[in-house]
Amino acid sequence: MQSPLVNFIDVLRSHDVRVSPAETLDAMHAMSILGYEDREHLRIGLAATLAKTPREKVIFDACFERYFSHNFDADTAESEQAANKDSSDNSETAEQSEQNQQPGASGAVAGGDSGGDSSGSGGQSDPFDQVDSEDSPALQELLDSQLMQQLRDGEREHLTMDIARAAERSDLGEIRMFTQKGIFTRRILDEMGEDLLRNAVIEAEQTASNLLQPLRQYRDALRELVRDYVEREYLLHAEGRNQQFMEDIIGRTKLNNIEHQYMHRVQDLVRKMARRLAAKHSRKRKVYRRGQLNMTRTIRRGVATDGALFETFWKRTRKDKPQLLAVCDVSGSVAAYAKFLLLFLYSLNEVLPRVRSFAFSSNLGEVSELFEKYPVEQAVEMVNRQYGGATDYGTAFADFTSLALEDINSSTTVIILGDARNNNGDPRLDVLQSIYQRAKQVLWLNPESRRMWGTGDSEMRRYQSACHFAAECGSLKQLERVVDQLLKSTR
Amino acid sequence: MHDLDFPQLDSVETIEAQFEKHGYICSREIATAVFLAFKLRKPILVEGPPGVGKTELAKTSATLLDLPLIRLQCYEGLDEAKALYEWKYGKQLLYTQVLKEKLGDVLQGARGLAESMEKLHQFGDIFYSPDFLEPRPLLKAMQQEGGAILLIDEVDKSDYEFESLLLEILSDYQISIPEIGTVKARTSPMVFLTSNNTRDISDALKRRCLHLYIPFPTVDLEERIVSSRVPEISDDLRHQLVAFVHSLRELDLKKSPAISETIDWAKSLLLLHAEQLDENLIRDTLNVLLKYQDDIEASTEQLRGLLPVR
Repeated sequence: MQSPLVNFIDVLRSHDVRVSPAETLDAMHAMSILGYEDREHLRIGLAATLAKTPREKVIFDACFERYFSHNFDADTAESEQAANKDSSDNSETAEQSEQNQQPGASGAVAGGDSGGDSSGSGGQSDPFDQVDSEDSPALQELLDSQLMQQLRDGEREHLTMDIARAAERSDLGEIRMFTQKGIFTRRILDEMGEDLLRNAVIEAEQTASNLLQPLRQYRDALRELVRDYVEREYLLHAEGRNQQFMEDIIGRTKLNNIEHQYMHRVQDLVRKMARRLAAKHSRKRKVYRRGQLNMTRTIRRGVATDGALFETFWKRTRKDKPQLLAVCDVSGSVAAYAKFLLLFLYSLNEVLPRVRSFAFSSNLGEVSELFEKYPVEQAVEMVNRQYGGATDYGTAFADFTSLALEDINSSTTVIILGDARNNNGDPRLDVLQSIYQRAKQVLWLNPESRRMWGTGDSEMRRYQSACHFAAECGSLKQLERVVDQLLKSTR
Repeated sequence: MHDLDFPQLDSVETIEAQFEKHGYICSREIATAVFLAFKLRKPILVEGPPGVGKTELAKTSATLLDLPLIRLQCYEGLDEAKALYEWKYGKQLLYTQVLKEKLGDVLQGARGLAESMEKLHQFGDIFYSPDFLEPRPLLKAMQQEGGAILLIDEVDKSDYEFESLLLEILSDYQISIPEIGTVKARTSPMVFLTSNNTRDISDALKRRCLHLYIPFPTVDLEERIVSSRVPEISDDLRHQLVAFVHSLRELDLKKSPAISETIDWAKSLLLLHAEQLDENLIRDTLNVLLKYQDDIEASTEQLRGLLPVR
């Protein structure tokens, strides 16, 4: 059996907290020092070793609450139930304690899991089945089982332990979908030997016994306990994974095909991807260094001139200021893609150099200002509204050159996003070529699949000749890959 | 390398009490993190807004344990020559001059080039040796005989390359100097790293550290801090000023007042012999709490609403 700590770390990982094996060991050491007794100590200690950003701390706290309150919760909730039940079955309390002392019963406790195989000694006089002990073997068997004892005794800890054990045998940790909850509940109940209780209830129904009511109560209470347990485990294990699953699917789906109701998820995902890329690439930021004498090299060189520091070497790192121009087609067919490209680029503002953005459908205009003034999401919407319409690449490129050609130099990257469908207008390839010659690189992102390029009114093949790199960007995954590439090459 | 043992750090509760004795009121989180750091021999990465006592934590630990505090302030462009070690170039040059004069003696009796080279090799090579090593804070912390508190302040201001430089020190308490070899710490120092979160620290660095986030304190804690730092202040005034600072933090400000500002303000109010907070007094002293004109203007407008009701 895995230790609870390892399980907990598994849960953390599924909720997108990065925990390395080394940190797992740290957490274990921390626990062995702090001990498990004080819950607050436990929480702080684990948080210090496992959650390393404020964002992760929030997730950690939520998971910790869920995971470690588990047993305590189950106990308290249950004892309340038990109290209610006891009051309704007042007459039985005395009998319970009596049955406790019977040798057959204690044998069943030692008997292990289900207790279904306990050798029922039917001859005993048990007050619970005083009515018709001979006629109801099912009831007798039930009464001998460990499960029933625990239910009647109100031994909540043991019961919870049994549920946990049964859950482990039925691989509850593998639960992924909410539709599986029912199956797992049933499996756990079977593992615990609930069939005895069920049989007894059926029997009682047939014989119209007066024990029917309390039996049903026990059965329902047990079912509820297990259902709650499964529910909690589902939240722990599956929620995070479902999130990952959804993200995976959304990442692969063509952006145009994603249902409107998932759009907010897409935005979250874009931000998450941007965060990931930012973390990956911010590493290379700021490599400049002020002019310092590289003493080691200077002296080494000085050896040749008899120790005189004749030739000096300076510490320096090359520093260039890259610039990014994003030109986005925001006409109906590609608007969604432009939206996410811009969202992506501006979410990366901490690692990306200066981004200037232009939007066009027929006429082109600079929209960088909008992004400075408003939050990214809002700005994207405004751009869409302002520039939507039918596409004319020729005019757009002409506009672009008059606006920004002078600013394009050998450290400029131009990204063009569009489907290159020019409605049979003049493509003005010469304009793109002039951009191509001046810029460090021209990237063309096309949301259409490669097979469609050049078909119909698509000028993609022709435009491609004046690009350093052309790529598909139909889905978020593809977009992420392109932006990753971009970050690599711009710096 | 041997480890330190301090009774002052024996349990979380002792730490809390000891820190309090030295004027640092810490929350349970802080005490537990220090306790773990000490027991696990791990560095602590302390994050949080400026002025909540991150640097103070290291300083207090140093006074508490009576260890030297070695501080490395990080900034952009900090490199190993300033953080780790540097060669004493001047001395090295002198050494070569001396060597040149001695060269005749060394090579005496040698015949032919091969023999001279052999003699030269036999002569001790101390050009790159610890004698010419100028230790910088990190190396100095490794060399302390009785251990030390190493404070690497504002690590987020340094470059990424520098972070990688720290990795070896933080995980193994050792430094590799190419010309000499590996220098191990005589006694592993207690390391505090602080960060103001201006950028993300790399995963590799985070993994080697315990993480402690110090947020703005609760009202309760802050009152205790003020009374420990400015004991002369009256209960009533302390009550009011802490409540006021807390309501300021609710506002959307460029820079929220931190604990250090609260303490400064308490001191200034004491100097002005104030007994009660009132609008004029606050308006005159607000610049102690808020460091931006925009913030001061924004909060002056809402001053009446922020004042504690009497």
